[in-house]
Amino acid sequence: MTKGNGTASSTMEQLIAALLDGDRKLSLEAAKELAAAGVTTKTIVQDGVQVAMRSLNDKCTVEDFNLLEVMLAGRAVTTVMKHFFPANEPAAQGLGTVVVATLEGDVHDLGKNILRMVLTGSGFRVVDCGKNCSVDRLIDTVVEHEPDFVGISGLITSVSPLVKTVKTRLEKHGLGHIKVLAGGAALKQASPELLNVDFVAETAFDGADYVTSVTGGGAA
Amino acid sequence: MNAMERAVASVTFGEVDRVCTMPQVFGHAATVIGAPLGDYIRDGELIAKGQLAAMERYGYDVVYSVADVNIETEAVGSVLEYAHDDYATVSRHVVQDRSDLASLQVPNPTTDGRMPELLKAASILRREVGDEMMVTGCVMGPLTIATQMMGIENALFLAMDHPEDFEKLMDFATAVTTAFGTAQIDAGAHAVIVFNPSCSPAVVPPAFFREIEQPRLKRVFQALTEAGGAVNWIAVAGPTAPNFPGYVEAGVQLACIDYYVSGEEAARLLPETCVGGNIRPMDFENCDPDDIARQSVELLDAMAHRSGFILSSGCEIPPKSKPENIDALVTAVLA
Repeated sequence: MTKGNGTASSTMEQLIAALLDGDRKLSLEAAKELAAAGVTTKTIVQDGVQVAMRSLNDKCTVEDFNLLEVMLAGRAVTTVMKHFFPANEPAAQGLGTVVVATLEGDVHDLGKNILRMVLTGSGFRVVDCGKNCSVDRLIDTVVEHEPDFVGISGLITSVSPLVKTVKTRLEKHGLGHIKVLAGGAALKQASPELLNVDFVAETAFDGADYVTSVTGGGAA
Repeated sequence: MNAMERAVASVTFGEVDRVCTMPQVFGHAATVIGAPLGDYIRDGELIAKGQLAAMERYGYDVVYSVADVNIETEAVGSVLEYAHDDYATVSRHVVQDRSDLASLQVPNPTTDGRMPELLKAASILRREVGDEMMVTGCVMGPLTIATQMMGIENALFLAMDHPEDFEKLMDFATAVTTAFGTAQIDAGAHAVIVFNPSCSPAVVPPAFFREIEQPRLKRVFQALTEAGGAVNWIAVAGPTAPNFPGYVEAGVQLACIDYYVSGEEAARLLPETCVGGNIRPMDFENCDPDDIARQSVELLDAMAHRSGFILSSGCEIPPKSKPENIDALVTAVLA
């Protein structure tokens, strides 16, 4: 990255390129440079991080999606976001809140982590229930945070019966309006009807697209 | 024509009396004999018993000496958490950071972890079916072992941040694949599936597969062939078509494909390699027999022009699948 004499717009381009390259160091340098030049955090996230996420989304179709590239970009995005939100405070983009979880019996949380990264980078507030999360704890978290969406990632088939209960449990709490989406290697092979959810995502980006389309946001 | 002759003829594009059927019935065999999956994956005798019962119940053309994807990482020191009726998961990876790489030792398949149980299963199955049917073992490919030893995120970050250390890890993993794979052939397996989910293009780009995994796979298949393996067999889920040229280069003779790749596309890209697949695994749990029968017939029709085809699932059939769905796949070849 050329430092010192770049305009804010060229530095923003450098931030976007570094994020897409998965280069944490250059990403952070560009973000800090922008902030030092007086660019607001909101603008850096909207015009830098979110643009990079959209570009990654466009590139990562179902046929051309690979974990490594997404993980590297995700790590760079997380580095930049942690710099601006060190206490893990949600980005104040106002696009909505998503509670994400990997349910009890499933300790494979990589898919959930990628969804969290994509949503955070797209401007959503994400509350992460972690892995091996009981439905009870998931519901408690939803009651506490009143999100717009619940995202469930599942790698193994045995969590399907639990996924089917989430919507019903939300309805019992008067939270039936909250959209539930599912994804992950096992769950994405099933239909929304079968899983009793509103949407089944093929990839994390597919999930983010759904969330964005429902909220009418322009992010992911 | 017995099941072994049918399988070999399929792999070599010879004449067959009917299409060979090899649904990937691994943990479902525990369900067939009413055993908890947590017991099944730890007991070679139970694996053999379940496989024989499932093969007789459904009438397909193979028995599998297969437990799960964590045999190798457990044998080199990862700690697993076992469940009563589910697959085990890794609770502590053997490689926590780069400093752990220096102390790794290739396991002894006759003594370490559950490897001896898998050798026992292969031995029993070979004794029971002789050469009438292909006794098929399983070993993880090098990249999959590497990711199971560190956790996939840490392993892939290591590949990017410290490529020299990652190469060392991959060389170690290759030695593990070779040691356990050849030991299974020595114990009685006719063939060993190299199961390699981590090299799917959904995980790493095709160039990564080509540069990092493919040369090592070639060495693995050479070793398995020299040990007496009947067929070089690979199984990878996901959209694997971009890696097919690498399969050929590595010496693969039977490629199991997932539902992401159509039979027609696989046949076009692998003109001289037998293709196995590719009914969507979860459909065996979620759909009804009419759906499975319809999909099977469509696939058989699409592949009717070539003998190098084996009807199977795209990946493992889920343990709690409906038995009538597996029946539907097996009987489709008789229609």
